[in-house]
Amino acid sequence: MSAPHPATNGNALLAVRDLNFYYGDFRGLNDVSLDIAKNRVTAFIGPSGCGKSTLLRTFNRMYDLYPGQRAEGQINFHGENLLDRKQDVNLLRAKIGMVFQKPTPFPMTIYENIAFGVRLYEPLSGSSMGERVEWALRKAALWEETRDKLQQSGLSLSGGQQQRLCIARTIAVKPEVVLLDEPTSALDPLSTAKIEDLINELKSEYTIAIVTHNMQQAARISDFTAFMYLGELVEFGITDEVFVKPKKQQTEDYITGRFG
Amino acid sequence: MNLYSRRLLINRIGIALSMIAMAFGLLALLWILWTLFANGFAALSWSLFTQDTPAAGSDGGGLRNAIVGSLLIVGFTTLVSTPVGILAGIYLAEYGGRSKFAALTRFVTDIMLSAPSIVVGLFVYALAVATLGGFSGWAGSLALSLIAIPVVVRTTENMLLLVPNSMREAAFAVGAPRWQVSLKVTLRAVSAGVVTGILLAIARVTGETAPLLFTALNNQFYSTDMSEPMANLPVVIFQFAMSPYDNWVSLAWGGALLIALLVLAINIVARVLFRKKSSA
Repeated sequence: MSAPHPATNGNALLAVRDLNFYYGDFRGLNDVSLDIAKNRVTAFIGPSGCGKSTLLRTFNRMYDLYPGQRAEGQINFHGENLLDRKQDVNLLRAKIGMVFQKPTPFPMTIYENIAFGVRLYEPLSGSSMGERVEWALRKAALWEETRDKLQQSGLSLSGGQQQRLCIARTIAVKPEVVLLDEPTSALDPLSTAKIEDLINELKSEYTIAIVTHNMQQAARISDFTAFMYLGELVEFGITDEVFVKPKKQQTEDYITGRFG
Repeated sequence: MNLYSRRLLINRIGIALSMIAMAFGLLALLWILWTLFANGFAALSWSLFTQDTPAAGSDGGGLRNAIVGSLLIVGFTTLVSTPVGILAGIYLAEYGGRSKFAALTRFVTDIMLSAPSIVVGLFVYALAVATLGGFSGWAGSLALSLIAIPVVVRTTENMLLLVPNSMREAAFAVGAPRWQVSLKVTLRAVSAGVVTGILLAIARVTGETAPLLFTALNNQFYSTDMSEPMANLPVVIFQFAMSPYDNWVSLAWGGALLIALLVLAINIVARVLFRKKSSA
């Protein structure tokens, strides 16, 4: 099978091929094929219900939690189809982390919020765990604000801080891919700007896939953009090209605000 | 009569009727509490806690054996029903979902919740007392556990179902297996509610009499041997309150007051705990 887009040639960490997704009898994704390039930011845009979150949730098999949802096709990750039944889903999720729309700190201290995921796969000693927590909080640009209150509840932070805590928690596990499902849609502009800066910082070490409703955001932070509509991948390419001269009329209509 | 004054009148009648209903309920409650406090505090004395239940016809006496027996029986009930109830609740909320086995478990739990406690007592009598050679504290704890477990199961399940799925997904997203998600994240998120449920279950079984009549029975003497018949407050109250001896009747009032105060204390702790945690 050839790569769906030459722009990501030879650099794909996740290679999606002929992916179909079903919610019971309803088909949520229709023969989607694309590559997620390594150490790049790939943005998914499109109107509500177009399947962009659905696609993102196949990458870490989040849909597995719900009976009746299933995916068919291939998502190749290090030469293996991660949709395979024999995949260790928990291990997969440690390698492909996810941050959600609403900040979801666990009901424990800030420190424990981060140590929880690390402890699952790495038996770190007290001091190296402390270092890891600090490292993750620094990465997420949250260290200065939380260094003196690591033993406070994660719920005591503001919304924007909580979301950065969730990002810290995700990268603390040292995943290869970070999936972001509308990570700033519940945040104010200032917090949004911080998280966008963060994404820019992180892409040198992580492969990032982000779903967003905000087209300026997609244009600002992503290297590649995928426009989806009604469960189909309409257009996929280098972000500048997709936004400046989209190949499909539908993409242009959506980007210019004529529908969606 | 215009529309407004008619509505005003109906409104006043409505309020008056609800006030009467409330007064009726409150009056009964206050009456019970008043009688209990008046008679109970009269019976309170140091010897209540230092002496054992007196033999028929002898003077004085206390409730030491019954207090210790009740604490032991209810204590073991708590030790058994807390883990069983919580784990079953986790199964129903996190694992079972809509499966047939989960539906069956829910159905049986609901039946046990509404089963008359005397039936539970008879069941344990037939199961453990008649076959294993006699009344015992263990049998009492078993009977009370059967009453407490369904309460804990249902509270745990209902509390866990309040945890938003986004929290569950977030925990799965860092690679946690389901048991870790359940025990360390979702259960912790509702720990205050679950503890409240356990406390209310304890409060409920503390006053149960019928199940103990057929199982732990009673013991005139001080004993901490759970394999022997064991004195306990509800059964002592039941026997002493109907006796012709004045000191027995007085002890029954004292015991009733102790139970009422204990249940009150448990309820207050449960409420305070729940309010503090859920507002945090």
